[in-house]
Amino acid sequence: MLRIKSLTMQDFGAFKGEQKFELPKEEGVTVFYGENMRGKTTLLNAFRFALFGKIIGRGRRSVSFHDMINWEARADGVRSFEVRLALSHAGAEYRLTRTCKPKSGHDAPTGHEDYVADYYLERGGHILPPQQAALEIERILPEQIARFFLFDGELLQEYEDLLYSDTDMGPKISQAIERILGLPTLTKSRDTLKAALDRAETRVALAAQGDQKTREYGNQLQNLVEERTVLTGDLFRHEKDLEDLRARKVAIEDDMRRKQRMATLLEKRDRLTDEVSELQTEITKKQEAITAAMSPAWAAIIVDKLKLTLARHLEREVELQSAATRAQVLHSLSKGHDPECPTCLQTVLKDAQTKIRAHLPDVDAGTEDDRNRELAGVRRQIDAINAQLETTNPQALRLLWSDFEAHRRSIYSKRGEIEEIKKKLTGSSEGEIKGLQREYESNVRQTAALENGIAETNGKLIENAGYRERLQKRLDKLAGGEMDVERRRRDLASTLHDMFNQSVGVYREQLRRRIEADASSYFKRLTTEEDYAGLRINDTYGLTIIHRDGSDIPMRSAGAEHVVALSLVAALQNNAQLRGPIVVDSPFGRLDGGHRARIVETLPEMADQIILLVYEEELPPARAREALKGRLKSEWTLERKSARHTELAQR
Amino acid sequence: MVIEKTADKRTIGITSGNESVLAALVEEGLFASEIDAAKFALAHAIDLEISRGTTEGAGTKWNVGSVDSDGTMKAIIQALYPGEAQPYRLIEHLMNEGLGRLKSEEGLPPDVAGILFKDNLEGVAQDSSS
Repeated sequence: MLRIKSLTMQDFGAFKGEQKFELPKEEGVTVFYGENMRGKTTLLNAFRFALFGKIIGRGRRSVSFHDMINWEARADGVRSFEVRLALSHAGAEYRLTRTCKPKSGHDAPTGHEDYVADYYLERGGHILPPQQAALEIERILPEQIARFFLFDGELLQEYEDLLYSDTDMGPKISQAIERILGLPTLTKSRDTLKAALDRAETRVALAAQGDQKTREYGNQLQNLVEERTVLTGDLFRHEKDLEDLRARKVAIEDDMRRKQRMATLLEKRDRLTDEVSELQTEITKKQEAITAAMSPAWAAIIVDKLKLTLARHLEREVELQSAATRAQVLHSLSKGHDPECPTCLQTVLKDAQTKIRAHLPDVDAGTEDDRNRELAGVRRQIDAINAQLETTNPQALRLLWSDFEAHRRSIYSKRGEIEEIKKKLTGSSEGEIKGLQREYESNVRQTAALENGIAETNGKLIENAGYRERLQKRLDKLAGGEMDVERRRRDLASTLHDMFNQSVGVYREQLRRRIEADASSYFKRLTTEEDYAGLRINDTYGLTIIHRDGSDIPMRSAGAEHVVALSLVAALQNNAQLRGPIVVDSPFGRLDGGHRARIVETLPEMADQIILLVYEEELPPARAREALKGRLKSEWTLERKSARHTELAQR
Repeated sequence: MVIEKTADKRTIGITSGNESVLAALVEEGLFASEIDAAKFALAHAIDLEISRGTTEGAGTKWNVGSVDSDGTMKAIIQALYPGEAQPYRLIEHLMNEGLGRLKSEEGLPPDVAGILFKDNLEGVAQDSSS
């Protein structure tokens, strides 16, 4: 049984200076009350950091060590933080101290990479050697199953993935569940017996080779055994490589999450750069259109003047044309060229012709020529103005320009954004992120290739086992002497292996049934919905809510998800080989008052030691005291000293 | 010399002081040629109602045939400036006057759009989209 005795923090997050709390020796619940931004999640992270050297923020993202140094202390020149955890386990007393400080040569650290977190573990007052300390922590609380001891509402939400086989998280949680339930003890025994069986088969082959009657079969069996050894070696190596690759993938994802903000900025910069490039191409086309339209555009500036001049010229043309026509008609009448008046159509008599001649001014040929020249000039200018006005389209030009200007403004704006992003990008971040992305893609490719290789090797091993079995049967018919002894040894190993192999299946099934029964029992106590009859477990420990009419509830709310997850965690604690404290941060999420009350009442049964981090509104102290009664062992408050300074105070 | 002044020009020139403005206009990429830009400057001068005159020291840059191949510009100048006996000399003068007024003391590129559209372009864009 793992128990937490005390936790001491030094400049860790909001907890400035040294701050410590001790937990009561008796079984029960300790509640920490803190409003938003006071440091409840930081307190949960203090346990995580001490045990595993990790700090997790919202969205399961790793938090930079640089940001975890208390800000006020950092302003005073502090460059490190530390968490000490006092524990007891299996009768031994432990003190785990983990310190984060700048790496050697990084006097002015600026980011996560500039820090290193070292730890040491004391058992019974003696510091353990590093390797032994690592093994001891792995034994006390393996990181793989930490999710069942240290969790928050967000982590509870992940259990829904157990219902779906196509998620990354589902299989990881299934493995963790089997780990906490102790299944690996049985699977390791089975694997040991498999190795013993392999050795026994080798000895049978050797014995067969020693006998004249069975030598040929013995040789063939020996070849198959050697082939199996090679294939098993390959398989082992590939599985190890796959495990390493997967671990590396998790680390890369972790790193990528930490650099998410930078990656988002880079992605935005690249997108904006592409957009600017596209806009530039558009602008070039629009500029070409404007350039073509600008050739006659000069007239657009003076279009009003041209129209006014055109009107005057048209008037002048009419004047000149009228004068020319009038002179021509009168001249014709006076000369008698035309006997009829063109206006009244009466014959113009001789007397009238004489009178007209008397009234006609003395027009010489020069005056008439001047008028005709002027008329020709006016007409030429009218034609020129008309021609220019026809080719000038100010409205179309304005549309072209406004479109062009809009594109230019868009480019300026996007370039401005790019410049702003560049200022936020630190020197090496781009290279690091691109490197991570390349490594991630390479990892995915290698993983797929290895998985294919493993499937192929497994196929060959099955084929090899088939051949060996047929040979063994033939050998059994010819058996005798030394081979009988080896055969009996092989049969024993085979029987034991089969038995353990089956027992793994049987035990797994029993565990599933026990988890289903316990989780159902907790669920019925936690939920306020009377129509829900319990939970049904699937092969991967996913839980489905069952209606009292026996049908599944296919969709469930975030609140229901919370209740199901808490039921699973409680059932796992009940059936776990390793039992320990539960530290839970804001477990109520979107749950209503009825569900909250039931959870508080049930909490003490989930583990011997419960640390509950809440804000007073979600669990008022009076209600906590009433619901927990004697099982509430101590209460603490996260007291605000400033926005960056919280102190622990016992109530 | 008197004969030269009374006969119209057969070539058109730009003063050395105005060459830089002409170059800046073309460099902006909005005009296909210096002639197009010079015509723009001419229209700007007309718009500003620059009075008739001659420009000294303009040198020789283009033949009038290159600037006004069909005589349209000459006819328009004669229409706008009645009785003008030396339209190409006036064209040269107006081009240089226009370029001189396009010069920016701050060294900024000439505001072609501002001259072309005396109102706001954005208003045009909104009108056209509605």
